Parts: sequence; structure tokens; C-alpha cells
Amino acid sequence: MQRQSFLQRLVAMPEFGPLVLLIAEIAVFTAINPSFLSPLNVSNTLTFTVELGLIALAMTLLMTAGEFDLSVGSVFGFAPVLMWTLFNSGVAPLEISFLIAMLAAVGIGLFSGFFVTRLKIPSFLVTLGMLLVVRGTALYITDGFPQRTWNAAGHWLATALVGDFHVGPFRIYASLFWFVAAALVLGYVLTRSKAGNWIQASGGNPQAAAARGVKVGRTKVALFVLTAVMAAFAGMISSIRTSAANPNSGMGYELEVIAMVVIGGTVLTGGRGTILGTVIGILILRVMRNGIVLIGVPGLAYNIFIGAIILGMMALHSWLERRHNAGV
Amino acid sequence: MKGIGGRLLAGAVVLGLSASGAWAKTFYWISHGSPADPVWTYFLQGAEQWAADTGNTVNTSFHNGDVASHQEAVRAAISASADGIVTTSPDPGSLVEVAGEAVEAGIPIINFNTPDPTAPFDAYVGGDNVVFGRNWAQYLVDKGLVKEGDFVWMPVEVPGATYGVQEEEGIKSVFEPLGITYEVTDATLDQAEIITRMSDYLTANRDRISAIIGLGDLVTGSIKRVFDQVGVAAGDIPVVGWGNSLDTTQEVLEGYVNAAQWQDPQATSYVALSLANMEAGGIPAGFDVITGALYEKDQAQLYDDILSGN
Repeated sequence: MQRQSFLQRLVAMPEFGPLVLLIAEIAVFTAINPSFLSPLNVSNTLTFTVELGLIALAMTLLMTAGEFDLSVGSVFGFAPVLMWTLFNSGVAPLEISFLIAMLAAVGIGLFSGFFVTRLKIPSFLVTLGMLLVVRGTALYITDGFPQRTWNAAGHWLATALVGDFHVGPFRIYASLFWFVAAALVLGYVLTRSKAGNWIQASGGNPQAAAARGVKVGRTKVALFVLTAVMAAFAGMISSIRTSAANPNSGMGYELEVIAMVVIGGTVLTGGRGTILGTVIGILILRVMRNGIVLIGVPGLAYNIFIGAIILGMMALHSWLERRHNAGV
Repeated sequence: MKGIGGRLLAGAVVLGLSASGAWAKTFYWISHGSPADPVWTYFLQGAEQWAADTGNTVNTSFHNGDVASHQEAVRAAISASADGIVTTSPDPGSLVEVAGEAVEAGIPIINFNTPDPTAPFDAYVGGDNVVFGRNWAQYLVDKGLVKEGDFVWMPVEVPGATYGVQEEEGIKSVFEPLGITYEVTDATLDQAEIITRMSDYLTANRDRISAIIGLGDLVTGSIKRVFDQVGVAAGDIPVVGWGNSLDTTQEVLEGYVNAAQWQDPQATSYVALSLANMEAGGIPAGFDVITGALYEKDQAQLYDDILSGN
């Protein structure tokens, strides 16, 4: 048996296509505006990237299991609103409010999972309904008012979640470490654990998986819970960093997160997923959003460029994927 | 004895209900805004306070810029024989027909927040976005903060929405003759995304920006966080814009924003409903009420207290 070289193994990886895209993107933006790679810009780009990224990591597992969750943006907005409402009204200290918000997210995930697995309703419809219920609840409990968050400054929980420090000229938030930890743990779970096999089997061929003893329903419910919890966690991190807990936060995040996962190489129909690919997909989309501002596209043409670049990247991604599958 | 007592009690309840029915009126407060937009919560608060103060009923609804839904709400109020309607205008010309139907039905209809002179409203209560825009631009010019050849950055939450377009019209009338250029950028309605996009733009264009005009409350209220993110000190770039949020009153007090526009959101709702009530009582409202004030650091505490509920 002939041993493959490192290069051959690299090219054969499903993440190779997205990686090429990311490198090309960085090279083009840097060539047009060298300050793209300045410490200030790199720090700024990473700040929000990892918050959306936390949701995308969990969504990767859920999509690998053949489902997706449209309510993540609403949960992202709802959890911090709940936490700060409890804290600001003196009902509970910040730590307990944080835990209650996380428990609420567990409940949302359980509810969605139950509807999808027991009542056999497609996840698109269930989570679309949940999106409206959760967003409406956030609006109702706040009367539409944003919650004040600035009295969290100096609290140990705020420091643990989003405390910032400087590494040379780079400003790093603690949320980056949470993201890295989540990527390592979920990457291990997906590729090296029995749970990962169950997730892939549930998405690839659920009937066959169930016949071989895989608890498909429980696996999916657990992943709905994980996705809701990660969305809540990301929302609370973002609310502390931005000093804002608006009931309308997170609108439209669900589609951006799904795009990140798919660009990274996870199959939309389930059965195959990659955490490393998702990390690259997250960077591709966020770097693109940052880069087109830095290269000076007109302000109101922003969405034209975003849409066109996504289409172009997906076409290139598809071409690279076909070459990869053909063994070229 | 028990029977007489019961009848007396029942009679008292009936009389009480009749009396309250005779006094309480029902008004409809209809907004094109979003319940998630912080400034609209203050408008709503004004309507709720008016209802509490007068004992009248105010039915409120938000329509997120949806013209069809907004028209339907006005027609529902007419069908319900409302004592009065106060409504914003989602788009110029969009309520001409339904306002006419209200007038025909003899129901007072007051326009607030977004004026539409083409519709037959009885009166208008609120600001004038064109004037606000002109005032911001003139403020920057009069204070010597911008001059010929300078560039001004104008972030907005929803490009193309009426408020931003009208404000830009006012700004243009001042800047264009003076050779001052500007750019409007899309910031979205999401707080985290606003900070990210504004930080990106400021990082890329820091050297050429002479001043910033925040065309909406969310973008103006994000200035401190954006400056802190990019490393710009308070006062390094002059900023004017909307000031109906606690974030902005704090920014004015701390020197991040030079001057901010107060729209009197609670008072606007309150006065609009008062005018509708006055008309329902037979006194016609033959005048408009223009609200709003541009405040600087010395008056910012007043508005901060109002928004804090102090």
C-alpha cells in the first residue's frame, strides 16, 4: 500500500476547499488594504466572530444529525434579556440569573426536540414557530425596552465570559477561549466518540441507525438542547460585551449561522459534518464582511457585495468539492 | 334584608358601570414602528400614561412598517366607532384614503411622529425630520467642526426608511453648497452587528472622517462602544444625531456626542391623544404641535433623568 504524502492528505481533506477560499480572501483583502491584517482590525474581527461562531459549532452537530434550528437568533436575544431582567429587578444575583437563563434555553431545546422527534413535525416548522414564541416572549417581558447591563462591570462572571486583555498589540476577549474550548470539545465528540457516530448515523440514515440500536430521537433532542444552550451562552456573552440586552438582538443570525456551517463543508441534508470546516466557514463569512468595508465599497452597496461574494464562493466551493470527490 | 342588600349592591354596580361607561372613551394609537425599537417604547409609555391619567381606554398596536396592516388597523378603529385615532404615517400618501374614511365617519384622527400633509388628518404632533437633519448639519458648520472639503460619515439602521431619507434631505441642503461630502452606511437594527459594522468602517476610514451624524437612535447610542473598540477618545471626532436613549444621554454627558436631538416621544403621544380627546369633546384642533430639542452637555442630565424614570 502506497503511503500518501502530507500534501496529498491535506488536499484530500474535505476542509481543504474552504481553507483555500479563506486564504484567498485574506490575500485579496490584504493586497488591497494592508491595514486589513493590523492588530486593531484582527482584534475587532475576532470579537463578534466568536460569538456567532459558538452557535455555528453547535449547529454543525445538529445539521449533521439531519436537523436545523431557526430559533437560535431569538434565543440569542431572549436569554440575556431574561438574565438582565431577573438581575435588574433584584429577583436574583447575576450568577443565578445566568443559570436560570441557561435552564430556559434547555427548556426551549427540549420543547423543539420533543416536537420534532415525537410529533414528527419537520424541524423547519417547529423552530420557525419557536423563533416567534421566543422573540415574542422577550418583547413581552421587557415591554420592548432594552435591559441595562452596565452594572455588571467588574463582576467575576462578566470577567470570566468577556474579560479583555492585551497580548502585545492585540486585544483579546475571554470569549475567544470559550470558542476554542467549544470547538475542541465538539470536534472530539463528533469525530472520536460514540456520540459522534450516533450523530452521523442519525443524519445519514436514521432508519438503519435505529435498527442498529442508535437512539436517534434522544440524540436529536440532546442536540436541540445543545444548540439552544450555545445560542443562549453566546447571547449572554454578546450582551455583556456590548452593554446591551435588546429583545430584538440576534435577528437573522440563524441564516448566517447555517451559511457558515454549509460553507465549511457540512452537508445540509445531514450525515456528514466537520467542526474544523465550520471554524473555517465562520472565518470566511466574518472576514468577508469586515474586508469589504476595509477595501472601501460604498456603504449602501454592502449587501450587493456580500450576496455576490457568497454566490461566488459557493460556486467555487462546489467546484472544489466536485474535484475532491473525483479524486483530482 | 339579605335580598334588599343584594339588590342595592347590584344597583350600585350597574350605576357604577353606567357612570364609567358615560365618561370613558376609547382611542386607538397606531404606530408604524417596531415594538423592539427602544424609542417606540417611550412613545408607547406616553400613550399608556395618558390612559392612566384620564381613565380613557387606549388600544395600541405596532405594524413594523407594513402599510397594509397599518391601514387595516385604522379601518378596524373606524368600524369600532372609536372616539379618536392617533396614528403615524408609514409612508407618505399611504393613509390618504383611510384618513378620509375616518373624517367621513366623524372620528377625530391625529397624525403623530411622521407627518403626511397629503392625508386629511386633523392635526400633526411631532418633529420634522428634514429640519432635524438641517439642524445637525448647521450645528457642525456653525461650531466650526466641519468645513469645505471635509467628509462626514452618516450611519443609519435602515437605509431607505423615511426618517433617514428626510434627515439626509435636510443635511444635504446645508452640506452641498459648502462642498462637504458625506456617506450613508447600513448599520442594521442588531446591536452587536451595529457595533461591528461601525467599528469596521471607522477602522478603515478613521483618517478621512471629520464628523459623524447618527441618523437613528441605535447608531448614535453606539458611538461610545465603537470609539472604545477602535481606540478613539471622546471628542476626537465630533458627533451629532438622535438622543432619545439613555446610551446617548450618557454619551453627551461624557463628551462622546456633542449634541443630540430629543424628540419628546412620551410627550408626543400624550399631546396627540389629548388633541384627539379635545376633538371628541367638540373642540376642533386647527393647529399642529411641533416637538423636539437639540441638547448639549449642559441639558443632557434633564433628558437622562426623564429616560431613567427619575
